[in-house]
Amino acid sequence: MIELAGVSKIYNGIEALKNINLKVERGEILTILGPNGSGKTTLLKILGALEMPTEGFILSNGVRVDEGNAEETRRTTTLVFQRAVLLRGTVRDNVAYGLRIRNLAGPEIEKRVKAALSLVGLEDLADRPSKGLSGGEQQRCSLARALVLECNLLLLDEPTANLDPESMIIIKQVIKRLSERGVTIVLATHDLKQAQELSERILLLDGGEIVESGRPDDLFLGQSSDMARFTRSENFFSGESRVLEGVARINIGGGVEIHGALSRGGPVNIHVRPEDIIVSNERIVSSARNNLLGSIFRIEDHNSIIRIKVDVGVVFTVQITRRSFEEMGLNVGQEVYLTFKASSVMLL
Amino acid sequence: MRNRNLTIISLATIVIVALGGFYLIQSMGPNEPHNLVVSTTTSLYDTGVLDQIEEAFEAKNQIDLYFISVGTGLAITHAQRGDADMILVHAPSRELAFMEDGYGVNRKIIAFNYFAIVGPGDDPAGIREKSPLEALEILVGKARGGDAIWVSRGDDSGTHTKEKGLWAQAGFEVSALREEDWYREAGSGMGKTLQIAEEYEAYTLTDMGTYLKYSEEGLVTLEVLVGAGEELINIYSAIAVNPDSNPDADFDAAITFIEYLVSDEGQTILREYGVDIYGRSLFNPVVELLKTGSDPTTAEWIEAAGFFDGTECPQEYRKGEYGLYN
Amino acid sequence: MVSAILEGLVKALELIASGDPTLVDITLRSLAISGLATILASCWSIPLGVFIGLGKFRGRSLFKGLFNVLLGLPTVTLGLVLYLVFSRSGPLGFLQLLYTPSVIVIGQAILITPVIVSFVANTLEAVDPEIRSLALTLGASEVRASLTVLNESLNGVLLAVTASFNRAIAELGVALMLGGNIRGATRVLTTTIALETNRGQIALGIAMAVVLLSIVGLVNILVSQARRWI
Repeated sequence: MIELAGVSKIYNGIEALKNINLKVERGEILTILGPNGSGKTTLLKILGALEMPTEGFILSNGVRVDEGNAEETRRTTTLVFQRAVLLRGTVRDNVAYGLRIRNLAGPEIEKRVKAALSLVGLEDLADRPSKGLSGGEQQRCSLARALVLECNLLLLDEPTANLDPESMIIIKQVIKRLSERGVTIVLATHDLKQAQELSERILLLDGGEIVESGRPDDLFLGQSSDMARFTRSENFFSGESRVLEGVARINIGGGVEIHGALSRGGPVNIHVRPEDIIVSNERIVSSARNNLLGSIFRIEDHNSIIRIKVDVGVVFTVQITRRSFEEMGLNVGQEVYLTFKASSVMLL
Repeated sequence: MRNRNLTIISLATIVIVALGGFYLIQSMGPNEPHNLVVSTTTSLYDTGVLDQIEEAFEAKNQIDLYFISVGTGLAITHAQRGDADMILVHAPSRELAFMEDGYGVNRKIIAFNYFAIVGPGDDPAGIREKSPLEALEILVGKARGGDAIWVSRGDDSGTHTKEKGLWAQAGFEVSALREEDWYREAGSGMGKTLQIAEEYEAYTLTDMGTYLKYSEEGLVTLEVLVGAGEELINIYSAIAVNPDSNPDADFDAAITFIEYLVSDEGQTILREYGVDIYGRSLFNPVVELLKTGSDPTTAEWIEAAGFFDGTECPQEYRKGEYGLYN
Repeated sequence: MVSAILEGLVKALELIASGDPTLVDITLRSLAISGLATILASCWSIPLGVFIGLGKFRGRSLFKGLFNVLLGLPTVTLGLVLYLVFSRSGPLGFLQLLYTPSVIVIGQAILITPVIVSFVANTLEAVDPEIRSLALTLGASEVRASLTVLNESLNGVLLAVTASFNRAIAELGVALMLGGNIRGATRVLTTTIALETNRGQIALGIAMAVVLLSIVGLVNILVSQARRWI
């Protein structure tokens, strides 16, 4: 339904995208996976006709998109930004915005807004001022504002990044439901598990280039060096696994052994999601099998969510809410315990 | 929906306000066929005498008077640029140049009074009751000794022109005086200049109208030290813009107004204006005086200061047969 | 001097209370002229401010700097320049607008253009840059997207318009040079203040100033109410 041919994009002399060739098929969920700065957002903006390529061209249903007809493409395609941007007024005003532009009748707008809000679980907040919403509610509001348009192509930029668990679950459900309805979805993420769960096809983007593409299982199971390079950045480890009493003990180097609920022995690639790890000042006694002591060497602020890099011999990335972060009074250099269940260890 | 309604309402409001505004402005600006634009010197207008003349004149004529109150210099510029139909000024030398350049015709002297040298009541320079030129000479001597300060208008107005003339008559170069530190230039209107002189306890040259007003209001305590004498005579004239230089100028209306100014009624208003407030007149009518010779000395002074080749308006600068000079 | 100010205040109250026809006439004219100038200037300045605030073109900052410099233009200078333009010998003299209320409207509109342009451009720059992209991706046309950004910064725009009205009604140079302070035709509050001060009618001058400040204050109160409502 939309196709990029030899697309490059240069911003201020920096090549954000290099020679992208890509065909999005009607009805599929395509995930663009890549680290921060790999060009995911730029790619989505070009697919959404918000940016024009420096080189190459876009075909939308076989028609070449240019400055002149970009508006038509934008009427059938919509992008949900990574950071929720809300307009003044109420939640309802926000969701109705695109419908008003399309000059729909009042009752029709009312009906569709209501349906969209109930889909994302915001029906009770319809008359709240948009600026008073929490981070997760804002993101759901902006998703509702996009899906209410019933566009053929929905582009989602990191739809669940830095969200509270409730909002994350709702958003994932919505994506699945939309896909069932036949909406074509392209979503960008750096979350491996999400890519694996949601999509039928994954593109691995690195340095503005598509370095791998294929079905999720093929990518994760194969010995793709590009995949490995990407995943190294966040809780991706390779090591030797020994299975004892149904638990795999995986030596991932740096003197660190991880317990995983795996049955495979020998060399493995594993991943632990940052949000599955608990941070504590004291050692926690629990059923969780992994308990590692390390020191914080970097803190990244993502508004409501904080990402912390902890060196326990190898580097783990941990994600916690701002509230817990502030309550615990964490600082760079501080010693903390990382705790996670064996079942949180994913085999790739 | 709310947004669209809001947009429509605000657009409608803007349109209504704009239309209403233009209507209001139109209704405020008089629409009579004849607007006579008179560029006038501030010392005449600011006294308020022209407001009274305007009322009396407009009651009798289908002409709407538009007074633009500016300095004599700017008044002449206005007329030269075609922005005025006539001027009321008080700088004879510049009036002659104005006519010589072909911009003005049918000059008529309408009134006179005296400039005054005012200064602090204790008069540190000791010029009280001296003749004007003698007073200036004494003043310069005292000022150079640090006992007096002079504030000049310095704004190229009629009064400033007069002041420069007086210094020249007394034998001083204004360009040289400007370099001396007791000689200060206000660069302002008469009222402001008086207030500056008040602050400095300085001497200055003023027209009587403005001085009396400021003195009456208690804004200045400066006293008139030299208030008469041939050199201080201040002559107000009306000049119509030459229709040859500006065909759009309303020449007929200008003549009608000049005729009114020199009529008995106009002259009476000029003489009586301000008597009830100041106990003396601000302007002296001139027509009667020149015609009857009732005060030959003053008449001589007026002729010396305000006539060119023995007449208030030489033949070549007269236009049409209006009986102005009979 | 203090007594003159007090006297002025008393006189102001007297004049206002008695509904002095001259005062009413001058006040209404001031409001009409400056209000109209504000509306007129808004018609071109707000779009221009949007263009500068949101546009991405070469020389944008130069353009913006120019308007910031023009903010400091003395009203007398503008009055003089416009006088030369509208004077009968000037390029627009044939319009015969000099010494009419309409020409003051035009002059004040020009005077306040940089105020609105600068304020609007600044307030739009402060709006989240993604708002525009958001509007576009939701299907808005370029114009509609600009309007959406404008709507997001409505408070700032309103402030710009109010500030420009204040400058218009409080300026003297343009009204004096272009209008000529003609009684019953182009006499407005500021020219009256100047005239009465020159005439030594200090109390009357202060009374007019009190009226002027009251109008400005009233307008600002109304606008801040409106801002809360929006």
